[in-house]
Amino acid sequence: MKQENKQTISGRDFEKYFQVKNLKKALEIKAKYEDQILLIAGATDVLVENYEKLHEIKNWLDLSRVKELKFLEVKEDKLILGPLMTHYELKNSQRLKQKLPLLAKAAAAVGSPQIRAKGTIGGNICTSSPAGDTLSALLALDASFKLQSKIDSRLVKAEDFFLAPKRNGLKDNELLTQIEIPLYPEESLSFWAKIGRRKALVISTLNLALVLYFEQGLIKRAGVAVGSAAPTPIRLREVEELMLGKSLAELNYRELGEEVKKRVSPIDDIRGTKEYRENVVRDTMVNALKSIEKRREGGKNAD
Amino acid sequence: MQIKFKVNGEAREIEVTPFHRLLDLLREDLGLTGVKEGCGKGECGACSVIMNGRLIPSCLVPAPQADGAEIITIEGLAEGNSLHPLQEAFIETGAVQCGFCIPGMIMAGKNLLDENPSPNEKEVRTALSGNICRCTGYTKIIEAVMLAADKMDSKGSGSDE
Repeated sequence: MKQENKQTISGRDFEKYFQVKNLKKALEIKAKYEDQILLIAGATDVLVENYEKLHEIKNWLDLSRVKELKFLEVKEDKLILGPLMTHYELKNSQRLKQKLPLLAKAAAAVGSPQIRAKGTIGGNICTSSPAGDTLSALLALDASFKLQSKIDSRLVKAEDFFLAPKRNGLKDNELLTQIEIPLYPEESLSFWAKIGRRKALVISTLNLALVLYFEQGLIKRAGVAVGSAAPTPIRLREVEELMLGKSLAELNYRELGEEVKKRVSPIDDIRGTKEYRENVVRDTMVNALKSIEKRREGGKNAD
Repeated sequence: MQIKFKVNGEAREIEVTPFHRLLDLLREDLGLTGVKEGCGKGECGACSVIMNGRLIPSCLVPAPQADGAEIITIEGLAEGNSLHPLQEAFIETGAVQCGFCIPGMIMAGKNLLDENPSPNEKEVRTALSGNICRCTGYTKIIEAVMLAADKMDSKGSGSDE
């Protein structure tokens, strides 16, 4: 064990590690401790953030055994997900791959096999990193998050949830308890790409999600979102609107790429420069449209 | 807090705190030093073990989350004096240089072969993508996993006949 983590063990140490088995209990504890308790599920972000200072954490709420928060169901016109679904489970879910391949693809790009086996989609959402891989997919798919407290619950749209780097709209007494994604009847094609320095274990330099829903050859709905290109992952409604009511042939891909570029506000950091990200987000949008065009012509649904 | 879990088939009970990681339990309390700490942040794969049938980074598991779990480490692969086919294959292909990453690599290889007994090279590469090696350049490690798959496959079909 790291020397820094060595502490004498006493019976009291565990009074404040709550490994709850049901949601009701979790909500009660959250109501009592509010922001004075650290939430863990897969723990893959929390243990990295607190490396060598785990002993400084006073109160823990471990949600990993709350079985009622782990599910994937199709209910009429939406797909609902429990926040404890791991990236591994999402990536391998036949139902998800069939209904929302965009999200399955994003989940498959998270971290490494080891991280995907432990990390959860709820954790990805609540950590709220601007680079969170599943977040651009959730935004483009028009997801909503159910935020629940001991007394009530509310549904917040993904695009209203992320407020600043690693900041979100969860109140101190709330937990994320469900993710809802609408399933539209129209035929859809999607694209998700992650730009990074290597394929595995890389934090996105940029990621982009695009989904188009077609009705009689025209784009009826669209979802465009990017990650790592602004203080939060962002959905680009204005770019979506430019595509509505048109066929793919009527779109000017390069101009749409420029429209995406105009609306991002990346920074220079160790993963890439602002200029690089601006140019790559434009080109990735062009590639996304080309990829969808190619699959539409080929009659293939698979991404 | 007392937790109970099974390591390499043996039931263990141990006193832990939330700031113990599974990695610390295995190395310090149980002496299973085949589990290596590389980065401590889930990026290198050296501490990989199989927990409840999934390959996980033991540096990112708070000890209480291991309560009730079944864990397999590199120490649990050999049977008596006979090495696991993966271990044999790593030796035969010369896949080991300094050796620090190898327990994690072998556990990643085992996790793959448990799910997919005859993987292609791409599948092997993906399965090992969470494990970093700074010596070998990976080629021989990938060959070793492919060789182990062949060895285990021929064993399997042998017993069928």
